[in-house]
Amino acid sequence: MTGFRLKKGGLVDRSTALDFKFDGKSFTGLQGDTLASALIANDVHLMGRSFKYHRPRGVISAGSSEPNALVTLREGGRLEANTRATMIELYDGLVAKSQNRWPSLDFDVGSVNSLASAFLVAGFYYKTFMWPKSFWEKIYEPIIRKAAGLGSASKEADPDKYEKAYAHCDLLVVGAGPAGLMAALTAARAGARVMLADESPALGGSLLNEQDEIGGMPGCEWASGVIAELGAMPNATLMPRTTIFGWYDDNIFGAVERVNDHVLEPSRFEPRQRYLRIMAKRAVMATGAEERPIVFGGNDVPGVMLASAMRTYANRYAAAAGQSIVVFTNNNSGARTARDLRAHGVHVEAIIDSRESNAVIINVKGGKRVTAVELSDHRVIPCDGVAMSGGWSPVVNLMCHHGGKPKWDDAIAGFVPPVVSAAFVAAGSAAGHMLLSQCLADGARAGTLKGKTPAVPKCRDEAFAVTPLWWVKQSTGKAFVDYQNDATAKDLPLAAREGYRDIELAKRYTTAGMATDQGKLGNVNAIAILAEATGRTMDQVGTTTFRPYYTPVSFGALAGPFVGPHFQPVRKTPLHEWAEEQGAVFVETGLWMRSSWFPRDGEDWLASASREVIATRTKVGICDVSTLGKIDVQGADAAEFLNRLYCNTFTTLDVGKARYGLMLREDGIVFDDGTTSRLAPDHFLMTTTTANAARVMAHMEFCHQAHWPELDAQYVSVTEQWAQMAVAGPKARATLQRIVDKVTLDDASFPYLAARNITILGGMTARLFRISFSGEHAYELAMPADYGNLVARALMQAGEEFGVTPYGVEALSIMRIEKGHVAGGELNGTTTAADLGLGKMMSSKKDYIGRMMAQREGLVDKNRQCVVGIRPCDARDKIRSGSHILKENDAPSMAADQGYISSVAWSPMLNMWLGLALVANGRARHGEVVKIFDGLRNIHMFGQICDPVHFDREHARLHA
Amino acid sequence: MPDPVKRISPLAEIAIQGRFGAGGAVPGVTLSVRHPVNIVSVIARKGKARALAAAMRGMKAQWAGFEQYYVLDTDYPAVAKKLAGLASCSDQSHGRVIIRIEGPEARRVLCKGTPVDLHESVFEVGKSAVTQMAHVGVHLTRVGADVFEISVFRGFSESFWEWLTEQAAEFGYQVA
Repeated sequence: MTGFRLKKGGLVDRSTALDFKFDGKSFTGLQGDTLASALIANDVHLMGRSFKYHRPRGVISAGSSEPNALVTLREGGRLEANTRATMIELYDGLVAKSQNRWPSLDFDVGSVNSLASAFLVAGFYYKTFMWPKSFWEKIYEPIIRKAAGLGSASKEADPDKYEKAYAHCDLLVVGAGPAGLMAALTAARAGARVMLADESPALGGSLLNEQDEIGGMPGCEWASGVIAELGAMPNATLMPRTTIFGWYDDNIFGAVERVNDHVLEPSRFEPRQRYLRIMAKRAVMATGAEERPIVFGGNDVPGVMLASAMRTYANRYAAAAGQSIVVFTNNNSGARTARDLRAHGVHVEAIIDSRESNAVIINVKGGKRVTAVELSDHRVIPCDGVAMSGGWSPVVNLMCHHGGKPKWDDAIAGFVPPVVSAAFVAAGSAAGHMLLSQCLADGARAGTLKGKTPAVPKCRDEAFAVTPLWWVKQSTGKAFVDYQNDATAKDLPLAAREGYRDIELAKRYTTAGMATDQGKLGNVNAIAILAEATGRTMDQVGTTTFRPYYTPVSFGALAGPFVGPHFQPVRKTPLHEWAEEQGAVFVETGLWMRSSWFPRDGEDWLASASREVIATRTKVGICDVSTLGKIDVQGADAAEFLNRLYCNTFTTLDVGKARYGLMLREDGIVFDDGTTSRLAPDHFLMTTTTANAARVMAHMEFCHQAHWPELDAQYVSVTEQWAQMAVAGPKARATLQRIVDKVTLDDASFPYLAARNITILGGMTARLFRISFSGEHAYELAMPADYGNLVARALMQAGEEFGVTPYGVEALSIMRIEKGHVAGGELNGTTTAADLGLGKMMSSKKDYIGRMMAQREGLVDKNRQCVVGIRPCDARDKIRSGSHILKENDAPSMAADQGYISSVAWSPMLNMWLGLALVANGRARHGEVVKIFDGLRNIHMFGQICDPVHFDREHARLHA
Repeated sequence: MPDPVKRISPLAEIAIQGRFGAGGAVPGVTLSVRHPVNIVSVIARKGKARALAAAMRGMKAQWAGFEQYYVLDTDYPAVAKKLAGLASCSDQSHGRVIIRIEGPEARRVLCKGTPVDLHESVFEVGKSAVTQMAHVGVHLTRVGADVFEISVFRGFSESFWEWLTEQAAEFGYQVA
């Protein structure tokens, strides 16, 4: 037995025992433990196997930088792989498993890789698995991945909720150690809105881990006092379990709060994690400093850990990492650990301080547990734990997220953060100020948003001095620079010899600094070794790029509540309920749910849509067209405004009339179309396509604000105010006549393109437009949305004797293709008005958006592809949208391409498939027989180009 | 002219009264749908903003953009008549759904949706914002210390209600 629970001390709650399982074995820990501390207290040091060599690994750190002790936490849908045991709060019933081992952690077959390690040097994969090229994707890579992989994700759905939220503050303090607490307290006392975030479940930072003294009391007691004071202030928000993972533009910080990772199962009303966007007027980086390992032989044997981690386990968790410890250090941290361990009654066998001692550790003996260390003077010291300290690295990450590079500071042998902004400053050891008194003073300064900085309490400082020792070159065992990736000290000079001198290249080549810990412990050592190998200084080599996320963030937190059916909002029309009553099948159109077809007993979509078309063309059909964009345009200059937006004229439109309008983009390509009606001299109602409604509105805003601010024009979306139905077919008039008040719907009082405010059903406000997309005698009736379902039911009743039939967007689409009306397939961002056969709409008497650019040579070329009708020569053939058009005898090739089919439909009126196509110089080619080539299915058939109006070419039915 | 039939809210079958979510006797927030309600969008005609402001005195108006407002509780014909020549008015009574959220946790629920700072020192009673929550455009107004009104396009109201109640669940909510 080596690791054990100390009899007294620590911040754990000895009255609350917690049961947990690791690799199927039951253990007991205490409230306040992490999984790592509980395992150590239970004498479990072997916590994982390494990535490449499958070497036995124990815990190295006591915090978020942990590279080794990665475990799979929880089971089933809640399983989370690659979780750091040092960051997992122990709870009753916790279940965790080790990773990267087979069949067991104790006996792992993959560790034979270690025997072959002479071949598995940096760049091995790149060099070995290069040939043959085709083998990489199918054979080499999957095998390497399988052998290398860390934990595996669950295949079950995550049953928990995740959440997103926004927060605002005057001062965000990142890190609740001495500097952070002091900053938060200073600012909060002055009345500022303060947020104090720390990744740990308990606030206090290093004060919880060390035997410090502030204001005449233990550091952790002082911290509790400050936290209690802040907790009672309404202007201070304490955020434990919250990692600030990134610094973004405008002093916005990204954070994840682990709301319920420390319980067995979250309440069904609460999220597991919350993703926060914090907008901070000012921020303080009080993230502290991270202790570094020393690179020496066997520095990865379980039982070797950071000196500060070892004393944290003793001081905070009352867990002794061993019975007999050897300390190896190049700075004062070693002596501090030895002192604290001895105070807890743990035996310290030797302190090897490279600043004083001639001998250094060249190898650690032991496989799954340290048994002894071997020194360069051939002494062998038996021990069961090694505490190492290679110096301290300020945690500079956040401040480097905008691209700033940290600077090397010889005095502390560490990189210090760049000066980035008056609104984001570093304080305490994160700024390279390593004394406790400096941390408190820094914190008070950073927390002073205005006025004089208040005095700080007195404290006891520990000495800080360091002389670099990067790599014990005499090492006999493997000396690791990066534990997680199994990168050794020798890999870096090798990378340099092979030309990867740049630190970014060396990182990729050796993998040092990659994966979940991103080199938090090993990077500075790697930089130093590369600097020496290439004869450069630390600053010349520099660091790799610091990017968010500081520590891994779960996909659940990033997705938040927007998963499954909540991925995007659903938009329902005011006639949705009526359509459901009629048995509609809905289709997503953007966010809208539109009724697509209305099947009756056993019909498939085509049978249903065909029946709906026939009913509409022979009797009367009604269709929900509420999704069309509707924009109220008013003002003294409303007509002029529309005149400039549309390529055709609107100033001449009479009150009470509708007109089809075509809008071009600035570059002359068609943008959108729709009918616009004049309700009063200074009041128009514009309609847009469903897809472009928001874009047209934005276009109008831009044109008005940027081009013509002098126009008195106001516009607002009224899309949702009105439910709108198309009523089409020979019996449309008769049906409508039964529900309208007063108006007689004959051609004299309500002619084609009439548009008027009316009342229906005995006084209800409504609007009636005599317009047609189907080609039938048709109307569109609009009524305030809350009445939509009611009016639709009334129309069904009114049309019952005529055989009224609801029709959906499939039938709508068939009818528009039969009539050769262009829609999305043709208004596809590549076509001009002339391409669509609408060239005559372009007014020559006025200016409008797109006029100049539409005259460009390429846009008026007579060989441009323009809209034609297309039909198969053999009426049994099915033509498909997307098929290419070739000359009758040409083989398929890009050079021979004549155009393509943009829309197709089965026409129940003509009993065949027909379509619209965009064909080069198509209007001159009506009647030509062409080859229709479907490259997806590699089939072809023959078809004939024709007029796009397949049905009722004379448009007689409009006025029937 | 009074409308002859009863208006039906798109949330009529959705916003069922009762007590939901976590918590004890006191719900963190109370949600209610303001329906039926009159909403008129009012946009100043060119150069008439000042005269419009004067003419709107006495109306319940919420800011909704540059020289734009929503006038509540007065019907469209009356608003349009009173503001004729000064503003372009459009009836939105059916086009928008107003959800009222009140209670001690109202701000904490809303901050899960909007990036707008709702602290009382910044977003005072009477202030409005045009913002987004859960990918839906919303018009948000603080009508009391702990009372907010959220107005969304009617088509999104059901989807938005689902999101809103989900966010309120951890505090417990009452639907009134």
